[in-house]
Amino acid sequence: MSRAHRIAAMVMTALMGIAVYLFFAFRYPYHIHFQEQYQLFEFTWKYFAEVTWVPGGLADWIGRFITQFFYYAPTGSVLMAVLVCGVQLLVWAACRRRSLAVFALTFIPAILLTAFFCDENALTGSAVAVALPLACAVLCRKLGAVRTRYIVETVLVPVLYLACGPLCLLFVLVAACHEVAGGEGRTWIFALCMVVLAALCPLAAGRIFPYTTARLVQGIHYYRFPNLLPGMLYGAALACAAVVLVSCLKIRRQLKSVPSLALYAVLVAAGTFLTLRAADPAKEEWMRYDFMVRMQMWNRIMMQADRHNPDNPKTVSCLNLALAMTGRLPDSQFSYFQNGPDGLLPGYVGDFTNPVSTGEIYWHLGMVNTAQRYAFEAQEAIPDFQKSARFYKRLAETNLVNGDTAVALKYLKALQHTIFYRKWAKETADLVADGTLFEKRPELARARDFRLREHDYLFSDTEMDSMLGLLNVEHPDNSMAIDYLMSWCLLRKDLNRFAECLPLVKASPLPQAYQEALLLLWVFTHEDFNGLPPYISPSNVQRLNRFMADANARKSESVMEATYGKTYWFYYIYRYLNRQQ
Amino acid sequence: MNRFLCLLTVLMTLAACSPRERDAAPAGILPDIWPDYVGVTVPATIAPLDFTLDGADALDVRLTAPDGTSLRSGGKASTRFSGKGWKKLLHASIGDSVTVTVSGLFDGAWRRFEPFSIYVSEDGIDYGLTYRMLEPGYQIYSFMGIYERELGSFRQRALLENTQFAGCVNCHASFRDDPSALTLHIRGAHGATLLQKDGRLAAYDTKTDSTLGTCVYPYWHPSGRYIAYSTNNTHQGFHAQPDKIIEVFDLDSDIQVYDVANNQIITAPQVKRPGIWETFPVFSPDGGTLYFTSAVQVEIPGELSQSRYSLYKVSFDPETGTIGKDVETVLDAADFNGSICFPRPSYDGKYLMFTLCDYGTFSIWHHEADLWLLDLATGETRPISEVNSDDTDSFHNWGTNNRWFVFSSRRDDGLFTRLYIAHFDGDGVASKPFMLPQRDPKKYYGDLFLSYNVPDFVTGPVPFDKIHAQKAINSPERIPFGFRWSE
Repeated sequence: MSRAHRIAAMVMTALMGIAVYLFFAFRYPYHIHFQEQYQLFEFTWKYFAEVTWVPGGLADWIGRFITQFFYYAPTGSVLMAVLVCGVQLLVWAACRRRSLAVFALTFIPAILLTAFFCDENALTGSAVAVALPLACAVLCRKLGAVRTRYIVETVLVPVLYLACGPLCLLFVLVAACHEVAGGEGRTWIFALCMVVLAALCPLAAGRIFPYTTARLVQGIHYYRFPNLLPGMLYGAALACAAVVLVSCLKIRRQLKSVPSLALYAVLVAAGTFLTLRAADPAKEEWMRYDFMVRMQMWNRIMMQADRHNPDNPKTVSCLNLALAMTGRLPDSQFSYFQNGPDGLLPGYVGDFTNPVSTGEIYWHLGMVNTAQRYAFEAQEAIPDFQKSARFYKRLAETNLVNGDTAVALKYLKALQHTIFYRKWAKETADLVADGTLFEKRPELARARDFRLREHDYLFSDTEMDSMLGLLNVEHPDNSMAIDYLMSWCLLRKDLNRFAECLPLVKASPLPQAYQEALLLLWVFTHEDFNGLPPYISPSNVQRLNRFMADANARKSESVMEATYGKTYWFYYIYRYLNRQQ
Repeated sequence: MNRFLCLLTVLMTLAACSPRERDAAPAGILPDIWPDYVGVTVPATIAPLDFTLDGADALDVRLTAPDGTSLRSGGKASTRFSGKGWKKLLHASIGDSVTVTVSGLFDGAWRRFEPFSIYVSEDGIDYGLTYRMLEPGYQIYSFMGIYERELGSFRQRALLENTQFAGCVNCHASFRDDPSALTLHIRGAHGATLLQKDGRLAAYDTKTDSTLGTCVYPYWHPSGRYIAYSTNNTHQGFHAQPDKIIEVFDLDSDIQVYDVANNQIITAPQVKRPGIWETFPVFSPDGGTLYFTSAVQVEIPGELSQSRYSLYKVSFDPETGTIGKDVETVLDAADFNGSICFPRPSYDGKYLMFTLCDYGTFSIWHHEADLWLLDLATGETRPISEVNSDDTDSFHNWGTNNRWFVFSSRRDDGLFTRLYIAHFDGDGVASKPFMLPQRDPKKYYGDLFLSYNVPDFVTGPVPFDKIHAQKAINSPERIPFGFRWSE
């Protein structure tokens, strides 16, 4: 390649790096945070030994090391761009004959890898497991002596299997391409031997490591769900080998500059299409809400909801929590989309994502044991058996609040082996030691004050109103529990229970939604509005009359929503319809 | 040369100035060591009891046998007794005690504590332990496995881990004298009961049309021909109170006996009564009696705190596999104002150890749970206060010579269960228990987020082919249990 071509190539790599960075930093940052919260990277020898002592362990350890920096999305995006560009450059370095067209082809694995990382369960170590074999293949190529090279390559196959898992096959394929293309005589026999050796590695590993052959063949820590084959990752790995193979072929006609540029254009279009298709905006939206809940960005949650009304139970529950934490739940809840009590307190789902933000709600409500259970269950449900720094932190907090200091200190000790949680954990442990924890950590003091002491119950999804009521009975200043209790009744359309609980509400004037609910109950139980309690505004009576007239006139739902969409009456008639009216 | 001499002089001066253990001042108190091995009784073949000294910057420990044999260890964090020296020392102390002198470096000065004894029993102990390790959690499980630990060393060997299949592994039980005979359950997508007997391992489907569910708590008959199982419809509840976390309870449970030779579950109406919960079956050492706990069904969750399990027995004829007609009360829960769990008769038939908690059937989550002893000859019961602690002391098993028992305890932090072993003398008195030894125990247990679960003694290494087991679990083939009513 000419110097101009080399510069153009480097510019293309840089442009791809920038594109990957921009994508993850601005369009997909919460996936970056999501990755970080499902691991606990400890700087200890024990952790290193535990992680690396499985096939693919070293790549996994390096991947986890990188992932801890995803604590900050911009840093994570830079690292993601570096990984992707690194793989592309390594493929280029492994190519035998170089041209602009081959350089363009090296972007194919990088594109596939970017698309793979749009999946929140793709683990960073998988990119390392692609890069390391490529790097080894490039280095081996530099060994001049054939015999030495053969020995090194043979030794590297099992070593790379241990370090990178079955993606060591990439090394075998690339090295085989080079041997066959560059060698004389029967180099293909050596290449075949390497392939056989690579195929034997998982079988031999099955005698040493406690994993099924299937998992040893498909990779243990490439993907969060161990039993699923990450097709896109393997596509990227095979593309690496295919590009190197193409570069080894003796093609007489080389593409000229213009067709090569056209190839770039096609790849840019394909890459953009594939990445956007692989991206999941709905998940990103939920992760955004979960992140904001984690960081207690209550105002940002409401601003986000004002821009785009959340419409699934997980995001709606985050919004409702933000409203409650800012004291706006009674007044503003029905200004946003609501569709049942699952949007207030989502039902328990035993996986590693659903209990996360729901556990935050219980934590802020003062249901400490439930928050602890949700954090523990979410952590236990992480499919690849990793631990989570976020959950360790919450478990330390719940145990501190419950007075289980020895257990809490155990979690804090582990967190002190991390980079980003060390400071918090050390400070907390010091506060425990000098007995000023609850003075210096008001959130913990609040949880301690709000938890139940006199009453006990076994948690039940169906008796949420009783549990919320008890919180307020023991701690009348826990107004959030009352807000949730009233909202729970309203969202379930249980107006009788709502009326029973109304005396617990101290707000004056009565929130708009409460007045609307009471009016509705009044209509159901009275002939007319005579004797209506004075705390119900007459203007609401007039609005209800108009609402009923419009509803009786069978106006369409969209017309009704435009006029009454923010009223409880609209919710009552048009939302949460799976419950028998 | 001059430079070297200068350096040597400086180093010697520094060494002379640094505090030395031999200059230690007497502390006048016993050392605060962890694990607490002060005054414990150990078998002569136990692995070195390494420990740390609380608050010390360094420690120096000298062990002395009655014949003057001594062993020294020290360091910054923990002792690290040499295996060979330890073994020699203990053998020189059999029937007597090892004197332990501990010195610690505190704020730049050495203090020497009052010596204490570690008694070395003449009674031998079994080869090792088997146990399950998992996080002490709720409903969802992560990594877990069943392990074997050699008591004479720190070696732990995985028998089966749930990286080998998708699911949970629980309730393992080895036959008393033959570690190769064992049963364990797999739960989840690959649910099965693995049974290994006479060198053959197979996966069974233990649910029959005539029984409540799959087999749960196992106990081998002394002949090895039968295994008593309970079958339980188990649920969990979650408390709101800070001092309670989890409640495990049955909504139904029965007793059944598996006939290994005929592949048949045997049960009888008297151990499968409607409105009555029966669980934790165990055979007497002569094989002629089946003990179990039982409670009258209560409303859950409202009356859970009134759920109290008593201890019962029924005769069992191993010749015909017949469960007797008459169920007798051995211990009435009302007499204890508590609930009886995990009955375990000693293999000589003299005693029966059980866990007593306030209510319910799963004492592991009850902080008040303690070990109790029933003298089967006199019918007298007593809490084993020699070993009990302020926190949960629960699941236990006897050593095959009845001179040792292992139990799980949450005394150290209130959550993570650790194993303790205690000596039990011929008069029915237990000694102070010692924690399962580890190299650098503070670090080991401090970093360990797994609990020990269902410990049991084994008389030798368990011959278990985990690859064969893995294949059996992941295969869809299950041998169905047959069923018959007891005559």
